[in-house]
Amino acid sequence: MSTVMKIENLEAKIGDKKILKGLNLELEAGKVHAIMGPNGAGKSTLSKTIVGHYDVEVLGGDITYKGKSIVDMDAEERALEGIFLSFQHPVEIPGVNNAYFLRTALNAKRKHEGKEALNAAEFLRLMKSHLEMLGMKSDMISRSLNEGFSGGEKKRNEILQMLILEPEVIILDEIDSGLDIDALRAVSEGINKMKDGKRTFLVITHYSRILDYIEPDYIHVLKDGKVIKTAGPELVAQLEEHGYDAIEEE
Amino acid sequence: MNLITLKNKNAEEVATLLGIKERNLLVEKFAALGLPNKKTEEYHYFDVEKLLDVDYKTLNYVPKSIEEGDKVEIVDGVVTKAPKGMRVYSEPCETIDMDHFDALYYLGHLLSPHIIRIEVDGDCHVEILHKYTQSETLINYRIVISNQANRHTTMYENFEAEDIHDTLVLYGYDMHIAQDSTLRMVRLQTMNDNKYSMITSHKVNVAKNANVLLKNFDFGGDQALQVLKVELGERAHVDAGHLLYLNDDSKRGTASQIIHRGEHSTSKQEAKNILDGQARGIFDALIRVEHSAKFTKAEQNSKSILLHEKSYMASKPQLEIYIDELEASHGSTTGQLDEKQLFYLQSRGISYIEARKILVIAFANTLIEQVKDSRHQDRIKAAFEEVFYVANKG
Repeated sequence: MSTVMKIENLEAKIGDKKILKGLNLELEAGKVHAIMGPNGAGKSTLSKTIVGHYDVEVLGGDITYKGKSIVDMDAEERALEGIFLSFQHPVEIPGVNNAYFLRTALNAKRKHEGKEALNAAEFLRLMKSHLEMLGMKSDMISRSLNEGFSGGEKKRNEILQMLILEPEVIILDEIDSGLDIDALRAVSEGINKMKDGKRTFLVITHYSRILDYIEPDYIHVLKDGKVIKTAGPELVAQLEEHGYDAIEEE
Repeated sequence: MNLITLKNKNAEEVATLLGIKERNLLVEKFAALGLPNKKTEEYHYFDVEKLLDVDYKTLNYVPKSIEEGDKVEIVDGVVTKAPKGMRVYSEPCETIDMDHFDALYYLGHLLSPHIIRIEVDGDCHVEILHKYTQSETLINYRIVISNQANRHTTMYENFEAEDIHDTLVLYGYDMHIAQDSTLRMVRLQTMNDNKYSMITSHKVNVAKNANVLLKNFDFGGDQALQVLKVELGERAHVDAGHLLYLNDDSKRGTASQIIHRGEHSTSKQEAKNILDGQARGIFDALIRVEHSAKFTKAEQNSKSILLHEKSYMASKPQLEIYIDELEASHGSTTGQLDEKQLFYLQSRGISYIEARKILVIAFANTLIEQVKDSRHQDRIKAAFEEVFYVANKG
């Protein structure tokens, strides 16, 4: 097994509250990992900690990505290295054109990789092809970033960013929340398009519904700030039937 | 001339000091209000006395023959060019507001017995370029603008200065917006170095069913205050927008009064202020709804971003209401850039410095994009980005 990210004894707090309490997790490269757990287990805190959110203070442990510790890296460095978080509640930024924002992000990444920047015309061609695939309207090019977007449009816009930025580790935080069936299908298609055996997914979810569309390789159960069980996709049925309380720490 | 000599003087003394033998009412109004100082409400946050207490050179205002040009050009207070067919001339001012709150409005008229009158015919776009060429000088002039009923005019006001220093510009408009007409005034001021300070004192009368849009984009340095009084008739509307970007130790802003006199009149006033360094921004704005202005709608908002711990915004939106039958709201927020927005951009690989620039420009753009003409909108955006990028190198 080739490990792309390893989390060891991670302890973290938000404000005065310690939420991650010695969490261990290994992400196998190219696989889909689902993190499931009850409310308050620490799922969103885990995703925030991986991407370097300002809310989180790491108290102990380490996160290594491709063999290198990232806990002291800035958020933008982690993003440039290929870590992407699809936000549960993407923030609205009035006045920032969606296409301008995405081209700036893509060209920052290309510069980091030693590639030439894409000009406006090249970028628009790229963006339009992905918009079509996700069933998004072309006015997404000119609208302000997430401003006035419906819940479904916001999630699709997150997937659009993922498709364009082509990250290596993709964290999907409650990507299915607030989506109707059509939006869920479109979002899942976008995600499945990125499954090429090289990219690694960490799907954070309360419910198993999204896992009908994005087939996981591993299920990790998170409870009280720790991963208490890791198993194959068969664990989903067990969770559906007996709930999280029936799972005992391994 | 040192204007501070007018401090605490009675009408007779003011007339003597200014060498004025007539126009007693104006002298009395000025003397009654008194030369502004730190205790004068609209000048409270503005170091006005420091600006007035200087021995300025004065100019002889001799009207010149006006050449034909693509815009109205005013050099040191004298019109030099105007578009063909536009009536621009010099004459004594007969329509002075005798109830203005600003003493410098009256001082401006006293120092400029002949105003520049611009009569706007038909539906048109007009550009006014103010040029300043004199250092250590008091440049003083007043402009009267009048349009015609049922006509729609847009005016763009720009400023240029030669390599000058320590000049004080006092100018202002008396605008008469005719019934059922629209006048849009878009003012852009950019200045990276301290060439001149400016106090403008305006009076805008908006007649029945008329609209006036006053958009002020001020990206200047040093000191400037825009003093504005707007009076709205029945079903008249004003949309006033102020975008301020300041850095270093500049002090600039707006002190205004919008007065609803007519029924169903509406006002919208929006200020966006971006302050860096030790700059001080001013938004001291009153909307007054009088007894005669039933069914008024008034909306007033000021939002400020402080980019430096020593920046300061004096934001004072105020409503003064004498009736019950109206809709009115006002608000003011001052803070730093939104950290959720900053993080979102950074989480996509955009550096902190670049993310900060993107958010500041976005904040400004929401006002700039209210300028409908795309050429002028692009010009204002470019001016803002240039000033902002110069101040935020790296």
